[in-house]
Formats: sequence, C-alpha cells, structure tokens
Amino acid sequence: MSNVSQSFIARRQRWGFYFVLPSVLFFVIFFLYPILSGFYYSLTDFTLLRPPQWVGLQNYQDLLKDRLFIKSIGVTLQFVLGSTVPVWIISLLAAVVFFQKFRGREVLKLLFFTPVLPSLVVVAVVWRILLHPSGVLTTLLRPFTGLGEINWLNDPVLSPISMILINDWSIIPFYMLIWLAGLTGIPEELRDAARVDGANPLQSFLRIELPLLRPTAVFVATISTINAFQAFTLQYTISPGRGGPIDVNTTMGLLIWKYGFQYYRMGDAAAVSVILFAIIMLVTGFQLLFSRGEQYSLN
Amino acid sequence: MTERTQVALSKFDASVAKAGVQPGLLLRKRLPGFLWFLVALLIAITFAFPIYFMVSSSFKAETEVLATPVHWYPYEFQGLLNYQRAFEVVPLARFFFNSAFMATVDVIVTVFFSALAGYGFAKFRFRGRRLLFAFIMSMIAVPFQILVVPLFIQVHSFGWVDSYAGLIIPGIMNAFGIFMMRQFAYGIPDELLDAARIDGAGEFLIFRRIVFPLLAPASASLAVIIFLFSWNNFLWPLIVTRSQDLATIPVGMTVFTQPHSDQPRWAVAMAVSTLATLPVALLFVFFQRYFVQGLVMSGLKG
Repeated sequence: MSNVSQSFIARRQRWGFYFVLPSVLFFVIFFLYPILSGFYYSLTDFTLLRPPQWVGLQNYQDLLKDRLFIKSIGVTLQFVLGSTVPVWIISLLAAVVFFQKFRGREVLKLLFFTPVLPSLVVVAVVWRILLHPSGVLTTLLRPFTGLGEINWLNDPVLSPISMILINDWSIIPFYMLIWLAGLTGIPEELRDAARVDGANPLQSFLRIELPLLRPTAVFVATISTINAFQAFTLQYTISPGRGGPIDVNTTMGLLIWKYGFQYYRMGDAAAVSVILFAIIMLVTGFQLLFSRGEQYSLN
Repeated sequence: MTERTQVALSKFDASVAKAGVQPGLLLRKRLPGFLWFLVALLIAITFAFPIYFMVSSSFKAETEVLATPVHWYPYEFQGLLNYQRAFEVVPLARFFFNSAFMATVDVIVTVFFSALAGYGFAKFRFRGRRLLFAFIMSMIAVPFQILVVPLFIQVHSFGWVDSYAGLIIPGIMNAFGIFMMRQFAYGIPDELLDAARIDGAGEFLIFRRIVFPLLAPASASLAVIIFLFSWNNFLWPLIVTRSQDLATIPVGMTVFTQPHSDQPRWAVAMAVSTLATLPVALLFVFFQRYFVQGLVMSGLKG
C-alpha cells in the first residue's frame, strides 16, 4: 500500500475520535470531575456560601461519632438484605412459571409486569393508601391476623419491612424479565438430553438450568445490590417525617440528602457518599469475586 | 352415566385414538399446563392488584378511597371528575410539560450521541480508543448517590440551579447507551461504508444517511428505556429545582405523599398517579419488544 493511501486512511480514522469526543467531554465534565471533586469536598467544610475550608479527615471522624450516621448504616444494610435475597428467589421462581407453556401466558405476564411502569413516587402514593392502618392489606390479612388495624408505616418495627415490601413488589417483575431472558438463552437440546437421560423436571432445573443461569445470577445480584444500597425515594416520600419513625428508615441515601440539601453541610454529605461508595464497591467486588469473574453476556 | 354422556365419551375416545394419544396421557399433558396457568394467574393478580386499585380509585368518590370496609371498586362512579380536579389542585399541565420536555431532550440527545460515539468506537481505530472506551464504560457502574452532591455543587457553580439547563443537561447522556450502540454498530458491514466512501460521501454524511438508519432498532430500545428513566427520575429533579414552575411530575407529586390535615384528596392523587403512568404504559403496550429488550440489556430500572 502506498504512503498516500495510508495517510488517507489515518486521516479517516481521526473521524472516529471526533465522533466519540462529545461523549467523552460530557463524561469528563459531569461524571469524572464531580466524582473526583466529591473526594475533595469530603475533606472540607463547605456550605456553598463560602469557599470550601480544608479540614482533613475531620468530617469522617465526626461521622464515626454521629449516631444518626451509624444507625443509617444498619438501616441501609437491613434494606439491602430485604431487597436482594427475597427478590432473587421470588423473581427466579416467577420466571420459571412464565417460562412454561400454557394458554394465556402472555396476558398474565403483561399483568405481572405492570408494577415496573409507575415511578417510585407513584408507587409511594398508591401504597400509602393500600397500607392505611385499616386499609386494603390489613383487610386482606385479617383472616390470618385477626387485627382491625395495623400501623404499617408508623410502627418502628413494621415500617422498614413495609418499605422492603413495597420496593420488592416494584422490582421483582423487572428481575423476572432478566431471569426469563437467561432461561430463554439455554439451548432446548440440553433440556431434551436431560429428559432422555431420565431426569425429572426438578432435577433438570437444578442440574442443568441453574448452573447455566450463573452469569444471569451474577448480573441480577450485582444490579439489585447496587440499586438497593442507593435507597432513597420510598424513604423520602412515605416514611413518616422523611426517614422516621425514630429514624428507622433513614438510609444512607436519605442521610446524604438531609446533610447536603436540608442542612447544606456539603462536606458531611460528600463524606457519607464516599463511605457509601466504598461499601458498594466492597460488596459488589466481593460478589464478583465470589462468581469468579464471570461476565454477564448480552447475547 | 346417561346415554348421551356415553356417546360423547366414545366420541372423545375415538378422537383421541385418531390423534394417536391415550386419554391418560392427554390428561397428563393438559393438566400441568392448567396448573401453571393457575399459579401464573395468582401471581399476576397479586402483582397487578395495586395498579388496579390505583386506576379504580381514581374513579371513586373522595370518601371511598380509604373507606372501611374497603371499596374494591367505585361504588359512586365519578367519571373524570377527579381528573378535572387534579388540574385544579396542582399545576399538572405544567408538570407534564416539564417532564415531557426533559424526557424528549434526554431521548433525542442520548440516542444521537450514543449512536455517534458507539459507531466511532466500533468502526474506527484512532489513538486512545481503548482508553477512552474503558473510561466511558467505567462510568456505567457509578451509583448516582455518589455523584449527587458534587454534581449539585458543579451545577451550582455554573449558576444552573433551578433552571431547565440544570434539570436537563447533566442527564443528557448515558454510558450504557454508548455500549449498546457499539455492540450494534459492529454488525454493520464495512463494505457498505467503503462503497459510500468510494462514492465520495463524507464521514458525517455516512453516519447520518447509512449508519444511523441501520441502528434504528437499537435506537428504539434505547429511546424507550431512556424515556422511562427520564420520566420517572426523581432525585436529581428534586434537588436541582426549587420553583414549582420547573417541577417534573414525580417532584410535583410529592405534595400527595405526606398526609394532609385540611382535606382528603386521595382520589385526586390516584388520578394524578394514573395520568403520570399512562405515557409509560402506552409505550409499553405499543413497543413491548423494544421496551423489554432495552430493560433486559440495561438493568437501568431502580
């Protein structure tokens, strides 16, 4: 190839750079720079009114003595636990049901999927009504509990469970969809082979499908964990007094909002963000390690 | 057994025999399908019930929504009265405009620049390509909670707090979109692009006239999930806007989430909720394939 055409090709390749440049600039300005500056702000005293004052690790030391912060870690972990393990199991079981062949399947799947559509704020308003002390859920459970009133949202023990219930209801159909895509991706021949070898459906599921769903499982586990750690909207919208009662629903996400946007203590809010980031990285890193680095395949 | 039943049974046996199946086997084949149907029906009703309750309550009289014992359907059907009241209680039209404006800009900008960058990463070999791609991919995993405080400070320093610019611009691109478009752009045959080049077409013209149309299915999936994400986004619009004129639907709806002492307006709240969900529901019904594909690929929901 002559030098002329080579330089022509090189010039053409530069267009690729121009094509990606707007996106790269965007992510530098609105992602990379804020993330890095967030670490810096966590080491300062900053209220937006004056320039940030360097305080070193003071914010972190204060947080360790801050009972609300310590409590928020427990609240967050509790919410994460309730919004992951039950979600994985129920969504997988639902996917197995909707993977079967039966009449009316598509319509029922459509109905099952509806909780994914509304925003969490809509979900919050609707469940406020359903969870009224003498409302729908209390009525439905009366044959089992015998109770006329249940304080779903105001009881300190029950309230975090209600948050998990609402959240799980709203996300399970989404994860069902992911599992279903995983199940559909398993070649039919493998199931047939297992049947020919005399495996019953349960054996086939446990020995063939479950191991092959591993990449899907990693994806579901990681995404659901990262999302759960960021819990904010439900706690903000329907827990009494934004995070109550007695702060049992003050997640770390809600605390970031409180410190940052209610009290304008940007340094403290940034420090909570950094710690939350570290926890998320630790947990998801552990999950990925546990899965021995298997990647979710999109095909 | 009556004679007619016997006749019917023998006919049934005959038809089964013709199909080459024994009656017992037929039962064994049909029954699991029916059981699966029952199980599916049960979970579908369980999950869809709150949505049913939302829609049906939007047609109830105000006193009915929290009535004990529960009104399972509107006893005093209100027609569209609650929907009319919704527009009087809150500036709903304004909320809708803001949400629609934000979602539209988000969708158009995200799809266009994701396609452009995805194509750039897939089909060109410029210096720094791997590094830049790795950089953008690492942004997929950044939880928004980590970003929110410094991003707000950044937007504040631009003087964009409480403006459309502050509301929309920080969300107009999506790292996942670039990844997705790159995957699809790989599939475009090089011969097609080279043929256009030989015809003298410029690189941007090739992108606009050949590549972008070929990426249409991927664009549809991306557009649908970006719309869903943007329409339902809450945290960022909540903190970056102050005035009611800039509130999106989820932010504007927060007035319904905390209890009201003056007068109950739960039925109105249900009307607003139904209206707020309607665009997404329509999108889901009409573009189900793209919707599902986009959701499965992205994991954006949450």
